[in-house]
Amino acid sequence: MIVTEIVPSQIVPFPADDSRRNDGSEIVFNGRVRSTEQGEPILALEYEHYEGMAETELNRLAEKTVSKFSIHDLFCRHRVGQIGVGEISLHVVIWSKHRKEGLDAMTWFIAELKKHIPIWKWALLTSGERVPSECVHSEH
Amino acid sequence: MKVLVKCFSQVKYAIGSNELTVTLKPGSNSADLETMVREQSAGALDDVTLRTAVNKHYVIEPVLLEDGDEVAFIPPVQGG
Repeated sequence: MIVTEIVPSQIVPFPADDSRRNDGSEIVFNGRVRSTEQGEPILALEYEHYEGMAETELNRLAEKTVSKFSIHDLFCRHRVGQIGVGEISLHVVIWSKHRKEGLDAMTWFIAELKKHIPIWKWALLTSGERVPSECVHSEH
Repeated sequence: MKVLVKCFSQVKYAIGSNELTVTLKPGSNSADLETMVREQSAGALDDVTLRTAVNKHYVIEPVLLEDGDEVAFIPPVQGG
C-alpha cells in the first residue's frame, strides 16, 4: 500500500502497526530543518510546492519505488509552508520483509524525491529577509 | 493565444511574480516561452537550469502550446 501526502502543518507520524506479521523491517525516516543555510543562521525554512503537480509526482515516485524494490508498503508525508528549525519536513516509513531492501528503497526514494518533486525551500534569515534557499541536495 | 506561466523559487524571485499570463503567437512552443521568461528575468536566470512542465507534467522536448495551457519552468528542486 502507498500513502503520500503533502501537508501544510506539523507532521503527525504514521502510527505504529503491531498487527503486521510478514514485515520484519519497519524503517522510519524523519528529515528535519537545520539551523543554518550556507553557514548562516536562519529562523526557519519555508517550503513551497507546485500544488497539483507535487502531489501527483510524489505518488508516482512512491509507486515506482514499491515496484522497483521488494518492499510492501511506503507511507510518506511532506510538510510545506513555514517550518521551524528542528521540526520535521519529511516523514517516510517503509515496511519490508527484510531490512536491506527497505534501506535501499528508502535511500533511493529520498534521493529521487530531492531530484524530481517540485518542492522548493526559501530561507527566512535572521534579518527578516526571505530568499530562495541555495541548498540543492543530491545524495546528502 | 494566452498561456499561464507559474513561477516558483528562483524563477519567482527573478520575475517578481507568482504567475504571468503571456500572449503567444499560434504555433509557439515551450522553448519559445522559456526564452521569453529568461529574457524577462534580465539575466537572473542565466545560470539556472530549468525543466519544463506543461499542464503539471514534465516534458523533455519542446511541445507545441495551446491556448489556456499552464506552463512552469522548474528550477532545481529542493524537497526533503
